[in-house]
This record gives sequence, structure tokens and C-alpha cells, in this order.
Amino acid sequence: MVDELEALYRAKLPEFRRVATAIAGDRDLGCDAVQEAFATAVRKRRSFRGDGTLEAWVWRIVVNAARDARRRRPAPAEPAETRTNGHAPVVPLDLLTERQREIVFLHYYADLDYAAIAEALAISPGTVGATLNAARATLRQALEEVRT
Amino acid sequence: MNEWLEQLVPRHEERGDWDDVLRRARRLPRRRLVLVVAFAVAALAGGPALGVMLTRDRGPQLPPEADHSRVSVLIQPVSGRILLKAAPWKSHDGFCYAAFFAFSGRPAGCVARTPRGAAFLSPLAGYTFDSRVVSARATLVSGRHASILVRRLPGLSVTFFYSRSRLPMLLSRVELRDAGTNTLRTLRYRR
Repeated sequence: MVDELEALYRAKLPEFRRVATAIAGDRDLGCDAVQEAFATAVRKRRSFRGDGTLEAWVWRIVVNAARDARRRRPAPAEPAETRTNGHAPVVPLDLLTERQREIVFLHYYADLDYAAIAEALAISPGTVGATLNAARATLRQALEEVRT
Repeated sequence: MNEWLEQLVPRHEERGDWDDVLRRARRLPRRRLVLVVAFAVAALAGGPALGVMLTRDRGPQLPPEADHSRVSVLIQPVSGRILLKAAPWKSHDGFCYAAFFAFSGRPAGCVARTPRGAAFLSPLAGYTFDSRVVSARATLVSGRHASILVRRLPGLSVTFFYSRSRLPMLLSRVELRDAGTNTLRTLRYRR
């Protein structure tokens, strides 16, 4: 089991770090959250019942660790409109709900399909699809407004 | 939108540190660590207090006139209960007592020595200053006889008799006997 976790870590570390960074809002916090999440997975490996895939189980732990990291993060000093996450210009992410953001990140950064996202977030695939569509619509509209 | 998302959080290809993961996995989780520390502190601080509370003597206390440095205790063999505490009476010839289960009368007091003095201190125990007494026979209210224990405490020069079983409340009287099983005195318990 530990070997399988290590293989997953080595194969998909960039994706895990990218999603965790996006959720945590900080690259260092995101990377640390991934390390902590895999440590938790190693520690609690016996609680993995095999209902779903090991990867989905790990994704759920990573998402939770990144959420915890974001909550512990000190509040940003600049206004939300100018927040850039240190990587990009003006970001309309605040228009999305927490669930919308997580689904967007898991879909675009980890390339997970609806079923895998649903498993990772413990929601139904239908909810994933509907939430993703709503998030896309919101983002497109916000990005159009930014350009104009 | 894809382009914007690509810029939002760029992909990093830095190598991971699996050994760090394993180190973290071996470390005690913070929440559990807090619980362990809290439990240890509670055990260290609360343990002695709990011990004192549980072993605290909540029965009657010996009078202040008693010599508390020389306390004797009579324990009922069957139940393990303390029946009586006794100690010399300071500056007097006699003894002080604290009688447990003394449902009527005085649960604690001091008794001056008299040559043949004897009495019940509780429904379960009594004393005699008569050094000839070595055994006793109790009679229950029902008329049945029951053996009771007799013990002389040399430090106090007093002989105590006390019940062996859990039913001595039905005692009607006690015959104090010498080595030849002669009855020296009969005490009646007055409720």
C-alpha cells in the first residue's frame, strides 16, 4: 500500500501540488499541504476500504489538507479585486463558490473526469457537471468584463 | 479561460521528497499530540487529587483529645469495612474512639478507664477494659447465637469485640468470656 502511494506521489506530484496551491492560495502552503496529505494517507492507509480508487481517496485527503492550509493562511493585505495569487493578473475567482473553485481546479489542473471529481469531493457526478457548467459561465462572463 | 487558468497557477515540475512524507507520517499528529499531553498533565495533576479524594476518610473522626500518632483500626474481615478507630486519650487513662455505622448514640468520644468497664460503641463493636476477656458469644434478636471476634490492643490495654458478618445489627446481647469460657459479663445492646 505504501508502495502504491509512493508511485502515485511520484507520478502525479505536479498535479497534486497545482490543485493544492490553487485551493490554498499560496504555493508553499499548497506544497506543504500535499506533503501532509500523503503523510496522512500513509498513516491512515488501513482505513482505505477500497470502495473507490486509491487516487480518488488521496485526492480527497489532499483537498482537505489544502482547505485547512487556506484557513490557516493569514488574510491578504491587498483588496480582493487585485489579488493575483502571485501568478496571474486580475482574478475573478471570488465570484465562484468554494465548491465551484475546487471542481474547476480538479478538472483543469488534475485533468480528472466527472466521476473522479465526484469521488474525490464525495458528491454526485451530476452535481459535478452542473457545478462546473455554472462555474465556467461565471468565469467566462467575468473574464469578458475584465478584457473590456 | 484555459489560458487564464494556466497562468493562474503555473505547473511546477520540481521533484518531490517522499522521505519527507514518511518522516511526517511517523510524527504524531498534532491533535493526537495535544490529547496525549493533556492526558499526561491531567494524570500528573489530577491523579494524586483523585487518589486523595477516593481514599479520603469520610467516616467519623477521632476527637481532638486522641493521640493521633497511635491510631489503631479494627476492620471487619468479611466486608473489609472499618468498624472502629481507637487511640490513647491524651493526658488521661483511657481511649478515644470513632465508631463507624453507629446509627444511634455517639459516633466518636473518649472513655475513661474503669476496672470492669464495658459497653457497645456501635451495633457492630464494643469494648471492655477487663483483661480476662478472651472470647465472646453474641445472641441475635432471633435467639440464635453467633460468634464474634475479640481482640486486645496492647497499646491501649483495651479489648474490643466486633462482628464478623454483615448482620450484626440484629445483635441482642454479648457475653464476654474468660479463657475457661466462663461468662464474666453480659452486655445488652440498647437501640
